[in-house]
Order: sequence, then structure tokens, then C-alpha cells
Amino acid sequence: MKKERYLLPLILILVWQGLSSVQVIPSYKLPSPVEIVLGFRDLLIVGVPPGHLLHNHMLYSLYRVALGYAVAALLAIPLGLLMGWSPGILRMIRPLFELVRPIPPLAWIPIAILWFGIGIKSAAFIIFLGAFSPILLNTISGVLSINPILIEAARTLHAKEKDIFLKVLLPGAVPSIFVGMRIGIGIGWMTLVAAEFTGVKEGFGLGYMIMTARDIQRPDEILAGMLVIGVIGLLIDIGLRAIESKTIKWQ
Amino acid sequence: MKKIILFFWVNLLFFVAIAQGQPVRIAYLQSDIHHLPFWVAIEKGFFEKEGVRVEVAGIFKAGPEMMSAFAAGSLDMGFVGNAPTITALANRTVRAALLAQVNTEGSAIVVKKDGRLQTLPELVGKGVAIPGHSTVQDFLLRKAFIKHNIQADQVKVIVLKPPEMIGALRTDQIDAFIAWEPHSAKAQTMGVGRVVAHSRDIWKDHPCCGLVADTGFLETHPEKLKAIVRSHVMATDFIHRHREEAIKIAIKYTGMDEGTIRLAMENVHYTYIPSVDGIREYVEFLTKLKYIKVEDTTTFLDRLMRTEILREIIRR
Amino acid sequence: MGLDLLELSKTFPGNGLGESVHVLENIQHRIENGRFVSIIGPSGCGKTTLLRIIAGLEKASAGKVLLDGKELVQGTEEVGLVFQEYALFPWRTTLQNIEMGLEIRGMDKPKRRLTAMEYIKTFDLNGFEHRYPRELSGGMKQRVAIARTLIMNPRVVLMDEPFGSLDSQTRNAMQEFLLRIWLKRGDTIIFVTHNVEEAVFLSDEIVILSKRPARLIQSIDMDLPRPRDRTSETCNKIRRGILKILEEEMKREEVGDEDRWDRL
Repeated sequence: MKKERYLLPLILILVWQGLSSVQVIPSYKLPSPVEIVLGFRDLLIVGVPPGHLLHNHMLYSLYRVALGYAVAALLAIPLGLLMGWSPGILRMIRPLFELVRPIPPLAWIPIAILWFGIGIKSAAFIIFLGAFSPILLNTISGVLSINPILIEAARTLHAKEKDIFLKVLLPGAVPSIFVGMRIGIGIGWMTLVAAEFTGVKEGFGLGYMIMTARDIQRPDEILAGMLVIGVIGLLIDIGLRAIESKTIKWQ
Repeated sequence: MKKIILFFWVNLLFFVAIAQGQPVRIAYLQSDIHHLPFWVAIEKGFFEKEGVRVEVAGIFKAGPEMMSAFAAGSLDMGFVGNAPTITALANRTVRAALLAQVNTEGSAIVVKKDGRLQTLPELVGKGVAIPGHSTVQDFLLRKAFIKHNIQADQVKVIVLKPPEMIGALRTDQIDAFIAWEPHSAKAQTMGVGRVVAHSRDIWKDHPCCGLVADTGFLETHPEKLKAIVRSHVMATDFIHRHREEAIKIAIKYTGMDEGTIRLAMENVHYTYIPSVDGIREYVEFLTKLKYIKVEDTTTFLDRLMRTEILREIIRR
Repeated sequence: MGLDLLELSKTFPGNGLGESVHVLENIQHRIENGRFVSIIGPSGCGKTTLLRIIAGLEKASAGKVLLDGKELVQGTEEVGLVFQEYALFPWRTTLQNIEMGLEIRGMDKPKRRLTAMEYIKTFDLNGFEHRYPRELSGGMKQRVAIARTLIMNPRVVLMDEPFGSLDSQTRNAMQEFLLRIWLKRGDTIIFVTHNVEEAVFLSDEIVILSKRPARLIQSIDMDLPRPRDRTSETCNKIRRGILKILEEEMKREEVGDEDRWDRL
């Protein structure tokens, strides 16, 4: 079973390489798989721009995303719990949130630069905006979807409001919170490339690397860079899911 | 009978229109005063006089972006820096050629007006913005480093679009920037910046922007190409002879004020004669920086420069 | 001494679409301490509402509930409730579910654990203390639910059709199990059920409620010694009697029928 899963992508790659070799697909439009692999090697050894190696780009991007995402989670989870628990607070905050939510994070870039300048804070801010909504919404839904009978059961065990919040709402909402967190990191990581277009002060970042590869006309490095971003995104998701299954043993 | 005559005329007009052909798709860089000859040619109707229709197919924020458009086949010709052209051609992402020069010089390194930086060597440890990697400005900056014994890794180089540079300088996001005119002039007239080096101080008479064409277009529409190059030559002469009117056109196309434009144009030298030595130096430098790898500099230059059309026009 | 229900009435207000629903009508009864009392009535008559009012989850529209002469305050530890749907916390193990109330009370962990383990033993849950509810059978889940309530030693234990979703064999086993536990502990139990046979088997007293709005039709003292034989003639007779009362009740006009069975 497992082998068949890789059959289709393998065939596609071979066909692609074939078409590229005879230039049916011109390499300046879409480099061949071989060229992309060589481009990846250049990213590792030579760097784009030269001297800026891939692993440093990765570290800086990961750091930016981690920062933006951490702030998003630290704000959205407690707020979501509160909003799920108190209809009053939900009614108060929801209109404002629903107004801001449709604005794509990228539209915030000019404002982000005005407020935070160019550098890690503005990039982290854009990523924060991307991750915040899904985490908040899923947390709220997690609380609201808790069977009310569980809250009543807790009350019959003499639980006070604080107990209900900590011992029922919070653990009950955890599966949804994880869903929100996975979606949030996915969007956050996706927003990374655009966020780094705000101007990267340090000269490192995967988005910046791709932009530079475009500047110096290396589509093979552009695609190799995109692949790196995709793979890292995948690894992050796998990691989160592993944490999730370790934490939520009860489902 | 009447019907046949009508039919005949309609078809004739139709074919005339087709024969006129598609307009030539030309691009330039946003608010780049180096590209004034193009704007002059449009305003003074030189293209019409030469019998060719022109369409502004793109206004780009920096050279590398324009080269991407060439690669995608969206442009026939463009006004763009020599450095991005060389990079794109060397990396074989475009099939293009340099037909004529557009200007030499015309950039400057700008620092904060009331800042502490007085000289170039003080840039060590500071942040400097460039419009993009492998642009003319990127190249000039590194040349300036070499001249003043600064190691490239001692300065933080940041990529920003020129319109963003003045704001970044003002808020101390960066300590200096290098950009094409009129951005350096604007920083001065706004009272934000001060020039610490003009590009001519770094490298006298250095080539800057060129008139570039897609080689496919060159081969299929040589007549139209010649017409464009002729218009370009006329426009360049016009700037020299009718400076005041040229200034007005520059103001219109950049949207900047007269003081800025006058100051900017003092820093730019408009010429259509390319300098092979200067361009060769670009190629060698880009190779050294590992941005490109060329088969052999001379062969490459032959591939790049197609100045025979220009020579033909000048001879007449 | 015991639990006094004094003229309890409950009306749910209309929600704009429907009219208000009058659910309990003047329920008046005393439940002596230590007695096992079953409440039987037609579906939807308000038995659950009655339990919820005693448990403090619902407020009566009129009337009072007294425990040993003092008015029962809402959310009090004196009253425990076992839900029909178990209401176990899915993210807690068996052990953690059982000790939930003690945890809320603030008992320290070692003491909690010890006490909870006692209940694990008594309730025949050995080997399952670290399992999660989804891994337990229906019968086990109900035992956990009951243990969770009983560990708090409430003065009154309310049970809302706790065996309703079990198959008949498991159900019978659970009834015997509950009886065993109760005989040792002597709690006051108010047990709501649909199942007349169950009520006859378990109770000291059976209270019959009418259709909505529920009134107390009759209360039957079960003076039979335990263990009882479900199939004995006496049990059958009592069962038939109750069924007949219920049958007649079902045939009766819903509201406004003056011909009521009003015996206390």
C-alpha cells in the first residue's frame, strides 16, 4: 500500500524532467527537477544572496513565525475561553472582531511598517494577524460545544465558577484549541513569505531569500526555496499533531 | 455594385489597421528620472512621427521585476538598469539584448540630514537600503565599499523599494540608502537626507540604464525596433536642447516638485552611446559576486549588445 | 427528619413562540432519611424537572425544599445527582472522574486517591481506574457516575433514570449492585424511573406522578423485605396495580379534568 502512494508523484516528476530536457517546458519558466535539486544545493552551499546560507534563512524565518504565533496563541486562547464562557463578553467583542477578520494580513503590511518599522516586529505582526483568527474562533467553538450537561454535573459536585472554567471548559475545549492551533500555524507559516516582503532588516529569511532569487533571476532557486517552505510547513504540522495525540488521549 | 465597393473599403481599412499592427509593449521604472527620454518621446509624439504605436506595458518598482516580465513574454522593450539586464541574460531567464544606453550616473548614497554619519567609512556596522540585489545601485554600493576598504559583511544591506526608503530613513529604520534619482533629490528637498556620495564620485561616467529589447521581438519586427531607437535618440537630443521643457515632462511623470526635479537632473547624464568597458566591468563584478556565471565575458557581451542598429541610425 | 417538598410548582415561561409550560403542580411530600424512594410517572411529566429543582439546577416557581427543617440552598453539597447520560468528563480517567468532587472541595491528592481507590474496589472497577470513559461499557460508566456522586456523601442522592440506557441483563445486575451498596450505606435515595418492575424491586416507597402538570397521585409504601423476587406474586400484584393507575392516568384528559386521584 505504502509504495503505491509514491507512484503518482514519481511518474509526474519523471514526465516533468523529460519534458524539461527537451525544452518543451523551457527552463526559464519552469526549471526541471534536476535543476531544482541543483538549485537547492546552491541554496545550501552558496546562498542567496551569496553568502547568506539556507540554514540561516530558515532559522530567522522560524524565529519570526514563532514570535508572531506565540503572541497569537497567548492572546487568542484565553480570550477565546472567556468569550465562549461569557455570552456578554462574546457579544461585546464579536462585532469588532468580525469587522477586522476579513482584512487579509497582507493588507496590513503598510500599516505594520508604519507602526513597527522594518524588521522582526512588523513581520511577526503580520504572522500574528494570520494565526489569531483561527485560534480564537476554534477556541470559542470548543467551549461552546462542550455538552452543557458536563457543566451541570460539575455544579452538582459543588463547582464554583472558577472550577467550571478551569476543570471543565478548559479541558473540554482542548481538542478544538488544537485544531485552531494547527490551522493557525498553517496560515502563519503561509503568510511568512509575504510578511518578509515588509523588508527584512537582518537580511535573512526564507521569503527574503525567494525574493532575492527572483531579483538575481534564478527560478531554480525560487522553486527550491518554495519546496523548503512547503516541507517545513509539513513538518510543523506533523509535529503539532504528534503533540496533540500525546495530549488528547481520551478521544 | 454599391455593396461591393463598401465591402472593399471596409476590408481595406481593416487590413490597414492590422498592418499597423500591435503596439510595441514598452516598460519603465516608476519615478525613475533616468527614463525621461521615454517620457519625452511620448509627450512630443516622436513615436507617431516614426510611424510606430507604443503601449506602456508596465511601470515597475525595480529592475529585476521588469526582467521577470520579459521572461514571461509580457514586454517587447524596456528601460532598465544594465545590471539587472546582465543578470537576467547570464542566468538565461530572458532572451534580450541591449540596443542603446539611456543614461550614465544618476544615483547617490543618502544619509540622514542631521545625523552623525558624515563620511562613507562610517557606514560600518550600519544599515543601508538598496532597491534590489544585482541592481546598478547594489553594484555601486559595493564598489564604494571596496574603495573605502569596507568589508561587505560589515554593513547590513537591506532591500527596500525606493519610495519606501525616505520614510525608512526618516524613522531611523535605516542609516542610509542608495537609489536612483529623483529619490535622492527628494530626500534632500524634504529636508530628510543629505548626499554623502554621488554615484559619479564612486565611479565616474558609470553606465546606468539601457534600452533593452526582447530578441524575439528584435528578429520579427526590426523596423519597429529601429523606429523606437530613432525616437529614443531624438528624445535624448531634445533633453539636451530643450531642458526647461524636459523638466516639465519629468515633473509630470514623477509627480514630484520642480525643486526636486532640477536637483535630480543635475546628477544624471543622458546619453545613448553605450560604454562597452563599463558594461564589461559590470559583468566581471557580478561574476565575482557569484550572481552570475558567464561562458566567457567577450562572448557574453556579443550576445548582450546589439548596437548595430544604433550605429546605423547615428551614421545617417 | 428528611427531605420536605412543600407546595412545589414550576412553570417554564413561554419563549415568544409557545405558551408557558406548567410542569409541576403543588408537589407536597416528605421523604424520610435513609429511604429509597422511586418516582414514577408518564413520559415528560416533569420528573426530571423535580429532580433538578431539588439538585439546585432549576429554581421552583413556587414552594420550597427543606432538608431536616432547613431550606435547601442551591448548589449545595447536601444533594448529589446521577444523570441518565452518565455525564462523565471524557478527558478524565475513571479515577479522576470519581475524585472530581473531592478535588473541587480541595482535598489533597494522596487522600483523594486513597478514598477514590476505595470506591474503585467497591464499585468493581478494578483494572479500569486509568481508563477513559470511551473505553468503558455502559454499565461501568454508570457505576463511575454513581461512585462520583456517592463519594461526596451527600445527604440526598438523586438518580434520574440511571439504568435507562442499559440492556435488561446489565440493568438487573446494576439494580442488585445498587441495592447492595445502598444497604451498606443507608443513603437517602430519590430514584426516577420509567420501569415499574425496577421501582418495585428497589424501593421503600413509590411515588406516582400524574401527566403534565405533574401532581402527586399516590404514594405507595413497599413493606416488602429484601432481597425481593421480581417474579413473586406480591411484586406482580403491586406492579399490576401501579400499571393500572398509570394507564388510567394516560387516558385522562390533559388539563382541567376535575376527576383527580388526589391521595397523599
